[in-house]
Amino acid sequence: MSTQPKTPDVDNSTLEDRLYTVKYEDPGESHLDVKVPGFCADRCDTDDCVEVCPADVWRIEDGDDVPTIAYENCLECGSCRFACPYNNVDWEYPDNGAGVTYHYG
Amino acid sequence: MTTATDDGAEATEPDDAGLGTDRVPAAPNYDGAFDAVVVGAGLAGSAAAITMAREGLDVAMIERGTSPGAKNVFGGVLYTPTVRELVDLDDAPLERYVGEKRFGMLSPDDETAVTLRPGEWREEPHNDSYTVLRGEFDEWFAEQAVEAGATLVTETTVTDLLRDGTGTVVGVDTDRPDGELRAPMVVLAEGGNSLVGERAGLKETADRENVAVAVKEVLEFPDREDAIPERFRLADDAGAAYHYFGEGAVGDAFGGAFIYTNDDTLSVGLAYRIEDAVTGQPKPERTLNRFKSHPAVAPLVRGGRTVEYAAKTIPEGGAEAMPDLVHDGAVVVGDAAGLVLNNGVHLEGTNMAVESGYHAGRTVASALESDRTDAGALRSYPRKLDESFVVRNLEHYEWLMAAAREDKDLLFGELPEAIADAGEEYFSIDRRPKADHAADAKERLLGTVGGWRGAAKLAWRYRKVIA
Repeated sequence: MSTQPKTPDVDNSTLEDRLYTVKYEDPGESHLDVKVPGFCADRCDTDDCVEVCPADVWRIEDGDDVPTIAYENCLECGSCRFACPYNNVDWEYPDNGAGVTYHYG
Repeated sequence: MTTATDDGAEATEPDDAGLGTDRVPAAPNYDGAFDAVVVGAGLAGSAAAITMAREGLDVAMIERGTSPGAKNVFGGVLYTPTVRELVDLDDAPLERYVGEKRFGMLSPDDETAVTLRPGEWREEPHNDSYTVLRGEFDEWFAEQAVEAGATLVTETTVTDLLRDGTGTVVGVDTDRPDGELRAPMVVLAEGGNSLVGERAGLKETADRENVAVAVKEVLEFPDREDAIPERFRLADDAGAAYHYFGEGAVGDAFGGAFIYTNDDTLSVGLAYRIEDAVTGQPKPERTLNRFKSHPAVAPLVRGGRTVEYAAKTIPEGGAEAMPDLVHDGAVVVGDAAGLVLNNGVHLEGTNMAVESGYHAGRTVASALESDRTDAGALRSYPRKLDESFVVRNLEHYEWLMAAAREDKDLLFGELPEAIADAGEEYFSIDRRPKADHAADAKERLLGTVGGWRGAAKLAWRYRKVIA
């Protein structure tokens, strides 16, 4: 007799697979930046931008004291702007329709 | 578009950058060709454009996406009383009507739910509640504005507002070469991530306690055609709206989760305030994974293939966080104006966007008729909105949001667990008499809310939910 798992399994795809479902046109340069790089290094130890981002755009890689910005993943939600307690996120809309295009929305 | 200098004279040098020829015709000058520029062709923008175009105004709608809706995300239910007034819904790309609402309280392992399936909802117009996908719906709704005479410009991003010497807004700047476009009125419908409004000083950046981060997946069931109707007990074009709150939905955060049935996809997602997202809560994507894996949710979404992953921020500050809606030469509508009601029971925003766009459009038309664009001439927009369901609902539930935030741990953590436990106790089958189980269940509930006195206090505090 086979054993039944107590909780049914859901195949949650990886974030990479999920991001792959979104149509994206690279605007060529990042629409995201930090206003004052030194601020993240000197003053911030919570990395709220990293914590809130649903797409892993903001990352602290080993040895970094300033976040790396993988802008190509950005879903344009804007949560990093609101999350940063120092208002240090520089956010622009990607130019001329570039960036994400949602099919379903 | 071409640049007009401040004294109104046109720039005469054609911009031939990158074209490699000197036989470039002069760029046409659209300055002054439009009575109003609408920033954003989402639901608020299109509602305003439809209204103004029908009043005989020349309207330009500027949309940064490749098509209207391309940059837009919402949970999935559109409430249509005002939409129905503006356009014929017969041809609209609606997915399913909402025939059932379910409210599920989730502890980490349990669900206690209430389901409503009123017979009335099966009849047209189905309580004016339909699941919708914004990619299709917004494009269609913007087309209605174009049919009414508005001009739609896509793949163009408004970067700032233009002002004259007195500070009156007199148009917009865009990311197009020579991208200024002058018009007497600007309708700001850019959504909740309001870069233009903030840059132009029309509103402040919202506090993170007042903004929610939302993530959503659209799931398809390629190998199981009947998965959605079977799992949600749907007949024909009936659909379901499931709302979830409690720890099993969004962990230790203030917010909720949802599942909505579309034609042949599910919209599954959740939203919670950014303040919680950055303190102790797993990242949004992992919170969504956990919700989908909850024992009460997993059987509904199992085998679903993610066909789109989306994210959005939601302005949830309510009536108190609304910015000034009228300025000299400009009005603010929809999410940009913070018009969202999200109290756990009612999740509404797009209907408020449409309503605000409609009132703003009417007001702009009547102000322009008397040749005025000053804030004083636009006062009837906020006044009409105040009298409408939009602000009345926001104000009615202002206290609820405040109270619910204060009682967060009790309402979203302890109470769902106590109710599940009490239910388990009440219905547990063994050789003890039912009366003993009932007494224990009652004790479990009362213990959580602080006895009869606590229960009475709680009931008094939340009486207005139904009053």
